Amino acid sequence: MAGYKKILLVEDNPKDLELTLLALARSQLANEVVTARDGVEAIDWLFRINDHASRERDDPAVVLLDLKLPKKDGLEVLAEIKGSDQTKHIPVVMLTASREEADLVASYNLGVNAFVVKPVDFKEFFDAIRKLGMFWAVLNEPYPSTIPDTGPMKVTEA
Amino acid sequence: MKHSELACEREPIHIPGRIQPRGFLIAVDSKDWTVTRASANALACIGGDTPTPIARTESQSVAERGGPSRTALDLGSELAAVDRFERDADWARITHFIERLRLTDRSAPTVHKAVHYAPVEVGSGTYVVIAHAAGAETIFEFEARDDASDGSLDILYPDIREAIESIQAEVDLSALFSVGSAVFRDLTGFDRVLIYQFDEQANGTVVGEANSGALPTYLNLRFPASDIPAQARELYRANRVRVIPDAEYVPIDIVDRPAVAMGPLDLSFSALRAVSPVHLEYMRNMGTPASFSVSILVDGALWGLVSCHHARPKQVPHHVRSACDLLAQVLATQIAGQVRSALDSERVQRQRTQSQLLAFMAQEEQFFLGLTAHPAEWLAFVDADGAAVVVDGVCTTAGLVPDDASILKIVTWLGKHHPTTEVFATDALSEIMPGTQHLAGVASGVVAISVSQIHSTYVLWFRPEVVRTVSWGGDPNASKRVVGERLHPRESFALWKESVRFKAQPWSVAQLESVSLLRHAILGIVLRRAEELADLSRELKRSNKELEAFSYSVSHDLRAPFRHIVGYGELLLEDPALEQVPSGKRYVSTIIESAQTAGKLVDGLLGFSQAGRSSLKRTTVDIDKVVAYCRAILEPDMKGRNIEWDVPELGSVVADATMMRQVFQNLLSNAIKYTRGNSLAHISLTVERKQGMATFSVKDNGVGFDMAYTSKLFGVFQRLHRMEQFEGTGIGLANVRRIAQRHGGTVWAEGKVDEGATFYFSIPDRAE
Repeated sequence: MAGYKKILLVEDNPKDLELTLLALARSQLANEVVTARDGVEAIDWLFRINDHASRERDDPAVVLLDLKLPKKDGLEVLAEIKGSDQTKHIPVVMLTASREEADLVASYNLGVNAFVVKPVDFKEFFDAIRKLGMFWAVLNEPYPSTIPDTGPMKVTEA
Repeated sequence: MKHSELACEREPIHIPGRIQPRGFLIAVDSKDWTVTRASANALACIGGDTPTPIARTESQSVAERGGPSRTALDLGSELAAVDRFERDADWARITHFIERLRLTDRSAPTVHKAVHYAPVEVGSGTYVVIAHAAGAETIFEFEARDDASDGSLDILYPDIREAIESIQAEVDLSALFSVGSAVFRDLTGFDRVLIYQFDEQANGTVVGEANSGALPTYLNLRFPASDIPAQARELYRANRVRVIPDAEYVPIDIVDRPAVAMGPLDLSFSALRAVSPVHLEYMRNMGTPASFSVSILVDGALWGLVSCHHARPKQVPHHVRSACDLLAQVLATQIAGQVRSALDSERVQRQRTQSQLLAFMAQEEQFFLGLTAHPAEWLAFVDADGAAVVVDGVCTTAGLVPDDASILKIVTWLGKHHPTTEVFATDALSEIMPGTQHLAGVASGVVAISVSQIHSTYVLWFRPEVVRTVSWGGDPNASKRVVGERLHPRESFALWKESVRFKAQPWSVAQLESVSLLRHAILGIVLRRAEELADLSRELKRSNKELEAFSYSVSHDLRAPFRHIVGYGELLLEDPALEQVPSGKRYVSTIIESAQTAGKLVDGLLGFSQAGRSSLKRTTVDIDKVVAYCRAILEPDMKGRNIEWDVPELGSVVADATMMRQVFQNLLSNAIKYTRGNSLAHISLTVERKQGMATFSVKDNGVGFDMAYTSKLFGVFQRLHRMEQFEGTGIGLANVRRIAQRHGGTVWAEGKVDEGATFYFSIPDRAE
């Protein structure tokens, strides 16, 4: 698995977290998935500060970011990622339960790379997650020679 | 103003430098009581006698004391004797006279408070002594008292009391004037007593008269303002009583003491003041050598005069003058009371109308609708024949009014020439606003109030011209003529009738006051309405924000549990162990389905609320493309179906593109859904553009509906079919209707059970 960039999944709802991870696992991605449960944790991990000050620099292939998050919400996290030279190149996909146009506009204004409304239908949800994972993870894959492993997906907590 | 009138108004009548020859005058310096001047007859009147003061309280007549029996008018020689007092000894004699009178012992008189001294007897007769201050001087006037003039207020008391009672008994103004003039005639014995009232232009009208028959009647005649010029009116206001016993008198000069430098002596408050030669000529022309007048002051202003004339020279004794002054003030009080009560009752009536109007206005969205909807009250408010409201150049009128263009011209003129006038009023518009004479028939009288300067809002009332005939006491245009250096008053007092053109019935003070009050009330209403609107819009903004926050959290939080139910349900469905549970798969599938339905309902509701909230982004929308897109999206629903489409060219509209997609997706999806049972479905679209509307229709040959339920078709969560027949949330058509409304359009439908349905969607057909 070495050589594959990680995926950062920021999701506070444990059920959504479980289902999303399941969807990612079924997509047979080789990437390790790092989970953060609120906006502050995501920022700490990304910027390697506070609890993650000692982490080695290892930018994720993509950040899957829920919009509604405790402490700092998705838009704030997005603003910080896209506002810093250190992180603005990292692709961010906004995952949201809402169809609110205002959120969509705000996200694109902040430089989001993709915006996905979580469908109620689980199959659609799986499809959406899989497509996202495939697209962003593979696109950002640095070593094309390495074939993805089909073993269990590695999930770590940030 | 005419040349002659101006000249007359400039005549300094308060400093004539002369007195009438019915007494003599001595002026002293108020500081040290040195004599400063004296009338030229003073020395002759004093004679060689030592003055004998008479006790002030005495009420005995001279006749009773066996004194000389002469009238003041023929005192003759002494009063007419003129001396220039060229010797110092003359001034010494006058000084001695004043000192001997010991008048100096008394408290100092002031301008407004004359001091009456005890009458004095000198060689030439008995004199009433009055002193008053004038500038730095104190004037002592010695007025000759004759037998006829002998008497006192005490003697007159019963007459006065009776007169007061008769004046106070009258409740009607014209009766009051008639009784009032009779009272004065009884008291003075003059041939003709007129009650003379000034109008706003200071023209006088004779409103009451008592006449012995010796002089012509002047009742109801009007006299031009120039007959009693402005400075005379001012003098009449300050000094209420004037007597001219004989217009043929030869005035006596006042001689200034040499080496005493004082300005001209102010005789404003003097009883002996010589009047203007113009006035004497006027009296002679009127055939009235004797005149006596008392001012009627109402609320401190000169309301009018009691003007008494006699066909022969006639003196008015001092105590009679005092009695007349007193009665004139009683009359004034009575007039003021009557005028006030007339005003009050008018005001009460007006206030009733005003409160009605206010109630009407308060009920209306825009105040002026309360006026225009009740023309009778609106006009009656000021007894107008026409009225108009002008708001931003739009006129709404009632009654007899000029055409809109003329009203707007008047309003523009008002804004330019009277921008700050709260209540503008005129009874002769054409006199002040050029080019409005042709409007006289409807708008000679105009009252206008400005309600809002920002929105140029005016309320106006109009009165037509009233062609009236006014009887003048002589031609007012010929009131004076100039002969040589001197002014001459007109010689004819024959009735002269004048037609007054381009004038309306004047607006009364009470009416104008009411208009002013109404204006304030309107301002209050307008202001309150503005505040209410501001409150409402704040409230709306707040509740809109709340609604947004609410739907935002619904969209996030309500969808999540449904997603989870579906998600975990799917996982469970994959579990082989479920096979062991009887009906397990079916139960789980139903749970999943229900959760999916609930999720769709939430999505539908949110979409519906967004259609109402989000702002319209109008662009040119190609409906042909929209229909093609929707048909592509709906492709899955048409699998295995046999549908014949009839789609002509539909063109484009200016509308919100997303919403147009929603509309056609909904209508087409319904058409596909409800033709499901047809072996061959037929769906046709049309467009019709007329009267500024673009109307699209979607027609199908499906199950149709009962027209009895058409009102329910477009309601939220309204369904006409059972759930298992046709799936759906019951929000689609509600959304279509809302979108139509947001675009200023409408939706409707026609149908028949089993014979298909046609849905119409109509929005304004506008260019971008």
